[in-house]
Amino acid sequence: MSFQIPIGPQHPALKEPISLRMTVEGEVITDADIRLGYNHRGIEKLAEERNWIQNIYLMERICGICSHSHATCYVQAVERLMELVPPKRGLYIRYLVSELERVHSHLLWLGVAGHEAGFDSFFMYTWRDREIVMDLLEMVSGNRVHYAINTVGGVRRDLDEGQKAKILEGVAMLRKRSVYYFKIGASEPSFVARIAGVGLLTKEQAVALCAVGPTARASGWDRDVRKEDPYAVYDELEWEVATADTCDVLGRVVVRVKELLQSYNMIEQMVQGLPAGDITVKAPRKAKPGETVSRYEAPRGENIHYIKSNGTEKPERLKVRAPTLANYAATVVMLKNGFIADIPLIFAAIDPCICCAERSVTLVDGRSGEESIVRTSDLRRRALARPANALVKGKAVWPF
Amino acid sequence: MALLRTLLYLLVYPGLIFLFVYGTFSEWFDRKVYARLQNRMGPTHTGRFGLLQPVADFFKLMAKEDVVPEAADKGFFNALPAFGLAVVSTAALLLPVWNFNLANPGWTSFSGDIIVILYLLSLPTLILFLAAWSSTNLFSTIGGARVLTMLFGYEVPLFLAVLSPAILAGSWRLAEIAAFYQARPVLLLVNVLGFVVAVIAVQAKLERTPFDIPDAETEIVGGTFTEYSGKKLALFRLTFDVELVVASGLLAAVFLGGFPGGALLGFVFFVIKTLFIIFLLSLIRALTSRIRIDQVVSFSWKILAPLAVLQLLITILVKGFLS
Amino acid sequence: MRIAAFLPELLRHLFKKPATVDYPFKKMDVPKDFRGTPYLRPELCIVCKACERDCPAEAIEIAAVGDPAEKRFRMVIHNDRCIHCAQCVDVCPTTPKAMQIDSLFELATDDRHKLKRDWVYVRAVVKPKPAAPAAPATPAAEPKA
Repeated sequence: MSFQIPIGPQHPALKEPISLRMTVEGEVITDADIRLGYNHRGIEKLAEERNWIQNIYLMERICGICSHSHATCYVQAVERLMELVPPKRGLYIRYLVSELERVHSHLLWLGVAGHEAGFDSFFMYTWRDREIVMDLLEMVSGNRVHYAINTVGGVRRDLDEGQKAKILEGVAMLRKRSVYYFKIGASEPSFVARIAGVGLLTKEQAVALCAVGPTARASGWDRDVRKEDPYAVYDELEWEVATADTCDVLGRVVVRVKELLQSYNMIEQMVQGLPAGDITVKAPRKAKPGETVSRYEAPRGENIHYIKSNGTEKPERLKVRAPTLANYAATVVMLKNGFIADIPLIFAAIDPCICCAERSVTLVDGRSGEESIVRTSDLRRRALARPANALVKGKAVWPF
Repeated sequence: MALLRTLLYLLVYPGLIFLFVYGTFSEWFDRKVYARLQNRMGPTHTGRFGLLQPVADFFKLMAKEDVVPEAADKGFFNALPAFGLAVVSTAALLLPVWNFNLANPGWTSFSGDIIVILYLLSLPTLILFLAAWSSTNLFSTIGGARVLTMLFGYEVPLFLAVLSPAILAGSWRLAEIAAFYQARPVLLLVNVLGFVVAVIAVQAKLERTPFDIPDAETEIVGGTFTEYSGKKLALFRLTFDVELVVASGLLAAVFLGGFPGGALLGFVFFVIKTLFIIFLLSLIRALTSRIRIDQVVSFSWKILAPLAVLQLLITILVKGFLS
Repeated sequence: MRIAAFLPELLRHLFKKPATVDYPFKKMDVPKDFRGTPYLRPELCIVCKACERDCPAEAIEIAAVGDPAEKRFRMVIHNDRCIHCAQCVDVCPTTPKAMQIDSLFELATDDRHKLKRDWVYVRAVVKPKPAAPAAPATPAAEPKA
C-alpha cells in the first residue's frame, strides 16, 4: 500500500512553510519531492529600490537566525565595489559577532534536534544556555536578533573593557556546558538510537550534489569558506575545520558541537587580540559600476551574494544564494529509503533555513507535470482573472 | 436509600467527580515535576501554584467548536471519547482503596479483579485505534497503526510483571494481595525487577515519552487525535488523566503494599503512593527521547519480556521456598 | 553508552530555582545602548533630512508647515513602521545628536495609529564655532535644506 504523505506546508515539525511530499510504503519512504515558494517575499526586487545603507537592514531580515551572515556577506561585496578597506578593529568586531552568531545558531540547532527526536529536556537546557549568548549579543549590539552592527566601511559600535570581560566570562561558562552536551549527546542511548545511521549521505554523493556546511563536513568532506578563501581575520586566528566521517545525523551533531568549541577559541582569541584604532571608514554614497561575488561561511554553509552596480546609490541587481538551497538536493537523496519517523530528524539535520532559500518561483502543473518559469506580469494577469473565473462557493476548483 | 448511595458512589466518590479532581491534580503534579526537572516553572498562575491549570484546559476545550470531518464514521467518531472515559472510570472503581473492608467488600472487590482491571486498561488502546480509524485522516491512520503495533510490544511484559506478585500472594484479588504484603513487607523486595518492568510498560501504555510514538507531534501532527477537537478532545484528555491515576493506583496496590488503615488513612496512603509512581513516570519522561516504532517492539521483546519472565521465575522459586 | 546518563543533572535541577523570569510580574533590565524607540530633540534639528533618506522602513516623514519664512517643520516618526535599527541616530550630523534612541520596548497597543509621534518645531541654526584668537572667525555652516 503506497500512498503520499504531505509534510507541510503547515506542519508542527517545520518552522517555516515548505511542502515535502513523500511517497511511502508502510513506514518506508520510497520517494520525496520538495516544493518551495511559500515564503517568497520579493527581497531581490526590493533591494533594487533601496540605497546601499538601507539594504544592509533589508539583507538582515532575510533570516532571523543567520541575519548577520547575510548582512556581512552583502557588506563585504559592497566594500569591494567601493574599494574600501575597513580598519582592523572594525573587522575584528564584525567577525566576533559572526562567531557569536555561529554559537547561538548551533545551540539553537542542538535544541531543535533534541525536540524533533522527542528529547525535550535537552531542548530546554540548550536553549537556556543560549540565553547567555543572546545576552552577550544584546550587550554588544543593542538587540538580541538582527544585530545591525555592520555598516558600509566597518561597524557601528565599539567594545569597551567591561564588555570584553563579560564576553570572556560568558564563553567560559558556555564551553563547560557544551562539553557536557557533547558527552550527553554521545551517550544517552535512546537519543543515539534515534540519530545514528539515519540520513546517510556518502562523501561521493555529497560532492556530486554540492552539499555545503556541516551537512557536507559530516560526510568527511572538509569544505569551509573560512579556510579556502579566508576573508579578513580568519587567516590570523588558530582554528581547525570540524569534520566527522559517520555520514549520518549523529555526525552532523558531532560536527556542530566541534564547531561550537572552535568558535569559543576564536572568540577568545579575537577579544584578547583586539587591535586598537578606528572602527569604520567613511563610505561614499555611490558605488563604482561593476559586479562582484562575495562568499561567507554562515552557520549553515556557504552563503553567496552577487551584486551588480551601475554607478548610482542603488544596486542594479542583487542575487542571494543561501546555503539551505544548496542542501535541498542532498535532502531528497537522504530521505529516500528512510523511515517516516526519521523525516523530521533528517530534515532538521541540514539545519533548514527555508526563508533564506526562497528566491524564485517555478510553477509545476500538477496534472501534466510540466514546469514553466512564469514572469511577474503573467502571474499578475492570472491573479486578476481568478475572481472573474471563480465558481460560486461550495466547489472551488484549485489549479493544482 | 441504597440506590441513592450507589448513585453517590458512582457520581461523587469514588466516581466521576473525584476522578475528575484527582485526575487533574495528577496531571498538574506531572507537569510541575516535568517542568522543574527541566529548570522551568510549570503552571504557576492559574489558581494557587497553578493547580487549576488542567481544569482550565479542560473547560477551555469544552467551550471550543467541535468539528467532525465529512468522511469520518460519525457513530464511532462521536461515541468513542465517552466510551473511553467510561471504561477507565469503571477500572478506577476496582482499586482497593474504597473497598478496604475485606469482610464486607461490596461489588467492587472479588476474586479475579486484577485480571478485570488489566483488561479494562487495555481497552483504551483499542478505543484509540478505532478513533484513529474512524477519522479517515492520513495521519490518524498511521497513528492508529502505531498504537496497535505498540500494543504487541508492551502488553505481555506488563501482564507478566503485574501478575508475579499476585502469584506470590496466592490470590487474584487486589485487596487480598495488598493485605498479604502489608503483613509481610519484606517480600516486596522480591518484586523489584517486576516493578521496574511494570513502570516502563505502564509508560508505554499511557503513551508518554519515550513511547509517545502514536502521538508524536513533530512527525504525524496529532496522530490519533488529529481530527478531534472541542468536547471530544476534552474527554479524551480526561481519559488519559484518569488512566494515569488507575495505572499508578494499580502499581501501588500490587508493588508497594496497598493502602492500609481504613477509610481516611488508606486514602492518604493512596495519594502518597500514587504521587510517588507519577513522579517516577515523569522522571522517565524527562530523561529519554522518543524511540522509533520498530525499536519499541524490539526493545520490548528483547529486554522487557525476558526480564518479566525472569521475575516470574524468581517469584515461583521464592514461593516454593516459603511453603 | 550509559543508561540514564542525564539523570543526575535532572535531579539536581529539582532543587534549583527555575531559569524562567516571571514576566510581566518581574522584569529584566536592558543593557546600556539598547535600541528602543527613536525620538527627536527638536531644538537641535537642522532639517537636513538625512534620517528620512536613510531610514530602511520609511518611518520618518519631515514636511514644511505654514509660512515658509518661519522655517517651521513637522516630523512624524511612524513607530509602527520602525524596525529599531538606529540608522537615523547614526546618520544625524549634529552634535549633540538631534535623533536619539531610548530603551523603551513595551510598545504594544491595539491600534497602530496610536504609535505615531510628531513634533512641530522651528529649524535650529548651527552657531559658528569659536575660533582660536588669532585666526578669523569661520562662517557658520549653512545646511542644505
